[in-house]
Amino acid sequence: MPTPALSAEKLEKKYGNFTAVSGLDLRIEEGEIFSLVGPNGSGKSTTLKMAATILFPTSGKIEVFGSDTVGEPEKVRKTISYLPEEAGAYKTLTGLEYLDFMASVFLRDRAKAAEAVKYGSELSGLKDKLKEKIGTYSKGMTRKLLLSRAVMIRPRLAILDEPTSGLDIINGYEVRKTIKQLAKDGITFLISSHNMLEIEFLSDRIAIIYKGRILACDTPADLKKRFSTDNLEEVFIKLAQ
Amino acid sequence: MNIFLVLVKKEIKELLTRQLLISIAAMLLVFYVIGKVVGTQHKASEARNSDVVVLDLDGSALSKSLIGRLSGAGYRVKKTSIPCIDTALAAPEFKDDGLFMLIPAGLQKGLDAGRKGGIGFYSKFTNFSASATTVTASKIRRTITRVNDELSVYVLRKRSPSLDAGFAREPLAALEFVMVGGKLEQVSLGQALASIQSQIFFFPVAMFFIVILAAQMVMTSVASEKENKTLETLLSSPLDRWMLVVSKLSASALIAGALSGAYMLGMRSFMSGITAQAAAGAALPAQAALAKLGLIIAPSGYLLIGLSVLFCILCALSIAFILGVLSDSVKSIQVTIMPLMMLLMLSYILPLFIDINAAPLSVRLLLYAIPFTHAFTAPQNVMLHNNAQVLWGILYQAGVFAVFVTLAGKLFSGELLLTLKSPFKKA
Repeated sequence: MPTPALSAEKLEKKYGNFTAVSGLDLRIEEGEIFSLVGPNGSGKSTTLKMAATILFPTSGKIEVFGSDTVGEPEKVRKTISYLPEEAGAYKTLTGLEYLDFMASVFLRDRAKAAEAVKYGSELSGLKDKLKEKIGTYSKGMTRKLLLSRAVMIRPRLAILDEPTSGLDIINGYEVRKTIKQLAKDGITFLISSHNMLEIEFLSDRIAIIYKGRILACDTPADLKKRFSTDNLEEVFIKLAQ
Repeated sequence: MNIFLVLVKKEIKELLTRQLLISIAAMLLVFYVIGKVVGTQHKASEARNSDVVVLDLDGSALSKSLIGRLSGAGYRVKKTSIPCIDTALAAPEFKDDGLFMLIPAGLQKGLDAGRKGGIGFYSKFTNFSASATTVTASKIRRTITRVNDELSVYVLRKRSPSLDAGFAREPLAALEFVMVGGKLEQVSLGQALASIQSQIFFFPVAMFFIVILAAQMVMTSVASEKENKTLETLLSSPLDRWMLVVSKLSASALIAGALSGAYMLGMRSFMSGITAQAAAGAALPAQAALAKLGLIIAPSGYLLIGLSVLFCILCALSIAFILGVLSDSVKSIQVTIMPLMMLLMLSYILPLFIDINAAPLSVRLLLYAIPFTHAFTAPQNVMLHNNAQVLWGILYQAGVFAVFVTLAGKLFSGELLLTLKSPFKKA
């Protein structure tokens, strides 16, 4: 059995008395686009942050390509790229300077970093705007820049929290297309969203998460079939009731 | 480029905003302008300082001689024939004059008869600026002493013509000696005090500014990264988290150092304007004595003070770093910085008013526990040849820095950085 891109066992995260994630089990295969779907506060972002090694599980464990996120975070960080929800960028840098800075942070090899910047610049579609300061960007432009940053280094696992939030229909569509293409090239995606339509279009498999627990996990088609509905929203409603 | 330099460069770009540069340039300009204006005004005041309006109602040989002696002593005497002091004080021709002297009728006769003379000295304020009040007070004292001297010479000559009036009036040739830190030199107390104050007054103000500026910078850097979630991206990267901490501290220290250098230049220009006459300094022999006393700080002394200031900044940066972690947003820094500000105020203000070494043990412990106190008191200790105390202070500061920077590193290594909530935040 190949090593999964990500596996979680009985994962639990508590903030004081509040349980954000409870008994979560997951297995994501390499090259898969896997989505966590659920309403705000359901534990999606917390799970993603634990996968990104910036939060530690209260109990249970989570591994990325066989490396424990708590025991071997350095190894994990070399394989992932994380895009937080509603993240910003350094407003005093230009878009190009930002990509260059991030490439230097993630890739120590100068040639690889330069290649990543070139790729990220193309992916962003921001063209001449990349020479302007990020402070002058719209929310959508910033998000596109951040997404490009997240995937330009071609991580083995891209962890994207609400990747298309703040993007208009056209830009959102382009981002989804890019993610699909990158997955074909071998990048694994762990995505969180509460946009069911987006998730249905993007994901190979989805996990519906609610109050820190996974209620169901399958392909969108199988979930709809299992719950005899036409869309994932109804699947969620039936599960949550 | 080395990743550390990449991080520092990014931090500097983030911190060194156009707004910050403009505000610093504006502050320097304000210092420069105030210094120049005050200096010019001071010179004008000095010129006016020799003016005295005299109402001679005695008209005796003595009063005429007195007026002549004052003129000979550098006073610009303006005699008036206005018979009433009230009218003279209000007269338009004397609207800019601050000192009036009323020689009453019968002064000479009274002195000849052995009665004390009563000369009136009237001060008139035209404004309440610091320079005006200082000039008026010193001018009055100087003029009264001068007039008394002249009258005592007159009385002595009158009563004992054979006596050397100059000798009888001042038989003492005062030789002033000052001892500092076990070293004794012949120099006037006034010169010693002027030298001490010129070096100590300016220093804490500049220090306070540097520390606050550096602390605010590092707090802004950490808080804005938290607020924008750029920190989450960096924390999930393969970067060594200690390098993140050190790069932020280094960038803030570099900018604070550069800006404080600029600030000191502005402050020097400001101070040289205010203390224009003091800047002329003491005579060369006195300078040599002051240097021997250690009141003119030697390069080795500056090195010690510099080290103390450096560690003071590093301590402030490491504490501010942790406070930055507690800040939920850049706006909340104004509140989160308060504990640091209070410590800084205590260590800045208290030593200005009390002798720490003579203070109760609890106060001494409190002040010396604050790492900034050692830097604020470093110039005094260097002047007093307490170099060992400065060195111990530096060691203590290094220890405090090590503790807080380790704590900051630990915070960056764990998840507290993202989950810690500010104790100042409303529930």
